[in-house]
Amino acid sequence: MEFAAVTTLNALTLISILLLVGLGLAISFGLMNVTNLAHGEFVTIGAFTVYFVQSLGGSFWFGLLAAPVVGGLVGMVLEYAVIRHLYSRPMSTILATWGISLVLQQSLELAFGLGAKPVSPPVEGTVDLIVAVYPAYRLILIGIAAATLTAVILLVNRTSFGLDIRTVIQNREMAEGVGINTRRSYAIAFAFGAAIAGLAGGLVAPLAIVLPQMGVNYLANAFFVVIVGGAGSIAGLLAGSVFVGGLTSILNYQISPSLAQALVLLAAIIVVRLRPNGLLGGAFR
Amino acid sequence: MTERDRNWLTLFATGLILLIVYPFFADGYQLTVIRDALIFGLFAASLDFFWGRTGILCFGHAAFFGLGGYVMALITLNGSVPLAGLVGLLGAIAAAALLAAVIGYFLFFGGIRGSYFTIVTLATGVICQQAAISWSSVTGGDSGLIGIPPLEIDFAGIRIDLGQDLASYVFISIIVAIVVLLLWQLSRGRWGKVLTAIQDNEVRAAALGHNASLRLLLTFVVSAAIAGLAGALYVCMAGLIAPDLSGLLLSTEVTVWVAVGGRGTLLGPVVGALVIQRAQQEISSFNPSLWPLILGLLFIVIVFALPDGVLSIFSRLKAIFRKTEPAR
Repeated sequence: MEFAAVTTLNALTLISILLLVGLGLAISFGLMNVTNLAHGEFVTIGAFTVYFVQSLGGSFWFGLLAAPVVGGLVGMVLEYAVIRHLYSRPMSTILATWGISLVLQQSLELAFGLGAKPVSPPVEGTVDLIVAVYPAYRLILIGIAAATLTAVILLVNRTSFGLDIRTVIQNREMAEGVGINTRRSYAIAFAFGAAIAGLAGGLVAPLAIVLPQMGVNYLANAFFVVIVGGAGSIAGLLAGSVFVGGLTSILNYQISPSLAQALVLLAAIIVVRLRPNGLLGGAFR
Repeated sequence: MTERDRNWLTLFATGLILLIVYPFFADGYQLTVIRDALIFGLFAASLDFFWGRTGILCFGHAAFFGLGGYVMALITLNGSVPLAGLVGLLGAIAAAALLAAVIGYFLFFGGIRGSYFTIVTLATGVICQQAAISWSSVTGGDSGLIGIPPLEIDFAGIRIDLGQDLASYVFISIIVAIVVLLLWQLSRGRWGKVLTAIQDNEVRAAALGHNASLRLLLTFVVSAAIAGLAGALYVCMAGLIAPDLSGLLLSTEVTVWVAVGGRGTLLGPVVGALVIQRAQQEISSFNPSLWPLILGLLFIVIVFALPDGVLSIFSRLKAIFRKTEPAR
């Protein structure tokens, strides 16, 4: 019982992170058709923001607030300087964003030096959940992720900005025809996705090894989430996160992490073969 | 034979002459530098055969290079395999081809193209490097495997011993020249034309009776097999293999070599590999962590300034001269 509960909670932690990182990718990759290979660096930037704030003596919570702001700003600059010019050239976008990813990684290394950066969680200790004892910070992480997801769903479905975004995604020309500034919508959506990834980086910082190169693992997994879940819907994103996060957590108990990664990749490839539009492809659009 | 083909052959012949003349001016060490760079050139050509012809980027090509290398190392270090050099080469080619066939089958027949393919191959590369690091009982972990003997093929009365600098230089030059020539023949013939048709409009190509998925899969397998061959050759020339050789940085570098040299030209990527590795040695010698930064900037420059590679500067200049000539 306790084992099952801890496994479930571990899976939930991973699913929460994947969900937040995947959200930005679902926006750029799934909806705008932009393959942003620098997306992992938003996570890195979020984690480094928390580290930087803590190293100056600030609190974790202030760092966590700053992380999405910094991530979103970098995303905005990236969209404005590079991605905006390449919307019609998918291959160029891949190469350019990969180049940016390398530049960001190396700049962080030059600025902060080699080696892992320590980030301490805001709360120590565990919580007794009757069936199991679990680290308090991880429970907070799951809670923040759930709250963020709810906020995003409300934003997309209940506000006029969300309506604009949905219109642009469904038909860009038509959206322009009815007077929506699609350029601006794309830019805001992209920066928004980057901000959420930055938040994810800030959240994961106390649990992860904070390195300039940490982003690529999140990048690969987040792409699996979007591909497996089927690009284009929040339900698909949820399904993809549960699939990738759940499978990884369960496998991690049995076998070595890198073999688990390989098996998750294999499973993802097979899912793509069987359901090319993703687990929920087409069902919830 | 079109003008384009003649240009290609002229360039190819020039390259061959340079390779033949070089040993008269260079010492043993310089020969080995060019030899190793040529192996990476072969690797670049293998990526170009797929990327240049299909327009689909494989971003984990080092996985095949590394796999070939590890297979070669394991077979030659085993000691009990007869004809270890030859078996190692064939095993490396087969292993890389098999991995590509498995990945390619699921992806191509699942309708995966374009960016999705790039991402899945990127992930494959990441995982291969992790596997090479963590499966240390077989791969030697972070430090890799050392002491791989130089290639020695003793088969049907032919004996090739590549312990010497000049012999190995000649051997690698011949292999690279032959493989590049074969790839060029493949891509200018019917095979390449079908691939161009698929790249232009897959639905129409399929309507004309071409099995697009199968054709893409075969191209991918050939490309991976050659990458595996390059990996195996590199390992027995260098005498060691480490997880870096299947990793993301090498995949990134090979992409740059192809992009700078000119995608779809086969020769350009070989030249790109030679030139950029030279530059890398110069830059890394005063600050090793600067190189990835410059690689990243190179990507951005390529995308915005030189989408067709460095060689396109010449054809652009030509176009300018042609435009001005009739006015005179």
